[in-house]
Amino acid sequence: MSGIDVAVTGIGLVTPGGVGVGPSWAAVCEGRPTAALDPGLAGNPVRLACRVPGFDADALLGARRAYRLDRFVQFALVAAREALADAGLDPHSWDGARVGVVLGCADGGPGTVEQQHDVLRDRGVAKVSPLLLPMQLPNMLAGQTAMEFGATGPNLVVATACASGATAIGTARDLLALDRCDVVLAGGSEAMITPLVMAGFAQMGALSRREDDPATASRPFDVGRDGFVAGEGAGVLVLERTADARARGAGVRGRIVGYGATADAHHMTSPHPRGVGVERALRAALADADATPADVRHVNAHGTSTQLNDLVEAQALNRVLTADPLVTSTKGVTGHLLGAAGAVEAAFAVLAVERGVVPPTANLSRLDPRMDIGVARTRTDARVELALSNSCGFGGQNATLAIAAA
Amino acid sequence: MSVQFEQLKEILVTKLRVAPEQVTPEATWEDIELDSLAMVELSLMLEENCGLRIGDDELLETPTIKDMVRLMEERSTTA
Repeated sequence: MSGIDVAVTGIGLVTPGGVGVGPSWAAVCEGRPTAALDPGLAGNPVRLACRVPGFDADALLGARRAYRLDRFVQFALVAAREALADAGLDPHSWDGARVGVVLGCADGGPGTVEQQHDVLRDRGVAKVSPLLLPMQLPNMLAGQTAMEFGATGPNLVVATACASGATAIGTARDLLALDRCDVVLAGGSEAMITPLVMAGFAQMGALSRREDDPATASRPFDVGRDGFVAGEGAGVLVLERTADARARGAGVRGRIVGYGATADAHHMTSPHPRGVGVERALRAALADADATPADVRHVNAHGTSTQLNDLVEAQALNRVLTADPLVTSTKGVTGHLLGAAGAVEAAFAVLAVERGVVPPTANLSRLDPRMDIGVARTRTDARVELALSNSCGFGGQNATLAIAAA
Repeated sequence: MSVQFEQLKEILVTKLRVAPEQVTPEATWEDIELDSLAMVELSLMLEENCGLRIGDDELLETPTIKDMVRLMEERSTTA
């Protein structure tokens, strides 16, 4: 047990449910799927995606600033701004040296890379933009966030594929435990819905092909699931040691009380068939939180809607947890936000604990009979003292966060 | 203003997304927040849009937009 109690004092979201915590939370609570055929994927074998609606980067960030940022950085800056305002922190008056940034992404800026590769191929090397690298490098996620807000403390980007957002929050918690800083902007961001990336996912057989009925394509834990639907967006939390947060009179929305991180060391894309890695991550998060399996009342599961992930994860949850917690996968609504998923879902878990509401798993018609878990099918009022948010990445990386009420 | 000023303003505003009211003859690169990376972009765009070959190092040596327009005018006549 790390003995550190970390408060979430601010939340910012940019998701396929909308720009902001309000529309994002409303979408998942309504169980309103966002998957649709994407015009940007017209020539692709799979054209399904969950886009952020109405994201006007020029209006939100200023045209000159937005022009030099890849979409994955734009999402993060907008989410971070909302989170800071929510936390009541003013970047003009804080001690920036004590403010860290830990963000995760799976890829960086593939949209910029693909666009500049077109330039290279069609117009020659001399026409390639000097902004190619500063726009697409994954570390720019944290670097640009530091520049935007004057956060000059520890600054890093973590990459654990689809667990990145959760890994970032866990890592931020460790930094606070070690007193490396007093405040951390922690989360994840992703903008990977590009023709090349989506062709790669399609070739892996990872994507749902339910193009005739897009709204039902992302169906976590359902017997008829056939793959994930890629989403985009960002989630950013403001984290502080709880004692510090209370001392400055900040509103504590929830607490990150445990973190478990493991590797399957098994296969580049498939989870370990017996789920040993994810099971160890779940148990490690509980041990870190000094909690027992019976304390867990809600799980925001990774639940990608792929055959393998959902089965292995459901069986691991069933083995570890004893109090029949309400399991949900908000990916039925948002699709799979990849490196942002763990952060966005941790935010949803904080909101569930704070508001006593568990969002439904959209599109669950019939639970896979091999699974013995209690999946939330409707928006459910429930007092939740302790929740888990679980994430798994290609490469076998697992990260579980334990989230407690304020 | 000259044709060259209008050409430059067009690039700065439509391509590099500088606010139009900031593009004045007396403005420095700092005023309109153009750094060395933007100068490389501008150099590429001047060649593409106006057929002018002006290196980014040359652009960086012009203190204001007015000086840069003068350089464009010189290159236009010698081209």
